[in-house]
Amino acid sequence: MKDFREWLREDRMPHIYCTGCGNGTVINCTLNAVNQMGWEPENTVFISGIGCSSRAPGYIITDSLHTTHGRAIPFATGVKLCRPDLHVVVFTGDGDLAAIGGNHFIHACRRNIDLTVVCMNNYIYGMTGGQGSPCTPLGAISTTTPYGCDEAPFDLASLATAAGANYVSRWTSYHVKELTRAVKAGLETPGLSFIEAMVQCPTGYGRRNKLRDARLMVQWMRDHSVLMKKWKQMEAEGRPLPEDKFPVGEFVRRHRPAMGVPEE
Amino acid sequence: MKLIIDETRCKGCNLCTLVCPYKIFQEGTKPNHKGVVVPVLDRPERCTNCRLQKLYGRVLCGVCQMICPDQAITWVDEDPYSPEKVVVEE
Repeated sequence: MKDFREWLREDRMPHIYCTGCGNGTVINCTLNAVNQMGWEPENTVFISGIGCSSRAPGYIITDSLHTTHGRAIPFATGVKLCRPDLHVVVFTGDGDLAAIGGNHFIHACRRNIDLTVVCMNNYIYGMTGGQGSPCTPLGAISTTTPYGCDEAPFDLASLATAAGANYVSRWTSYHVKELTRAVKAGLETPGLSFIEAMVQCPTGYGRRNKLRDARLMVQWMRDHSVLMKKWKQMEAEGRPLPEDKFPVGEFVRRHRPAMGVPEE
Repeated sequence: MKLIIDETRCKGCNLCTLVCPYKIFQEGTKPNHKGVVVPVLDRPERCTNCRLQKLYGRVLCGVCQMICPDQAITWVDEDPYSPEKVVVEE
């Protein structure tokens, strides 16, 4: 069996991500899952939009498309409907997917196209210098919210669940084994599977929010994530849900009719 | 097998020191020629992967390799007659 590191373009390494950026971890987990599926690089396409996370396909040996801002999913839809035999994986960030590409995202979920969307949610626009994105938590400091963000953030996993994706899960970059398993389950599922990976951005987000280095941010995510089972139990018992914590785990797994699945 | 940190890739984020269950990775003290403080290995022969990867035929724990954002951590075959069994690759 091949090692997942053989999928990386060794001549492009080391990559441009900052020290301790979680995007590299998500690339590792996704490539490990793709490798476990036994797919060939010739039959796999990685597609991305604009942003830090969207530089990921440039470090992978397969064919890839680096498209316009927010339009990764429309390009991926085109690839999938034109060539249903290809395996299409979309790398995207929160500013790319939730802000400018929000409509494309919910309609891809509604159509249930056979894609795997891996969203690296780092709470801010990292590449342009840490501006507030639709996923910035309440009270968080960013370049455009210097007195604390006073808008409620998007819950992307719940949005995908409501819009009709076939498989939705959320993990953080601390949970590498679970994230690999979730991406693999998403690749196996026909229809749109959405994996939200919460990643640390020590440069743009952490250092403005009292989390000075990458380790502190990863520890913060580890301590503020609650497993789905426990979260549902707390809901059922009517206990107050902690506002600064978020559930991680599998949100939904269902079998709605999908589009773009190759006919057997 | 032996555990190595590729100094040309490591950027010194010290995430491996957070996740290793044996605390093999320790924070380094001296910057290398690139100015990066690379973690040092504390008795890396304790790593389960070094000992048992060949026997089981798969990566056993491997959390440090997965969490390393710079793809710097890997295991390589060691030379059976080398006097120093496990060293950080220069």
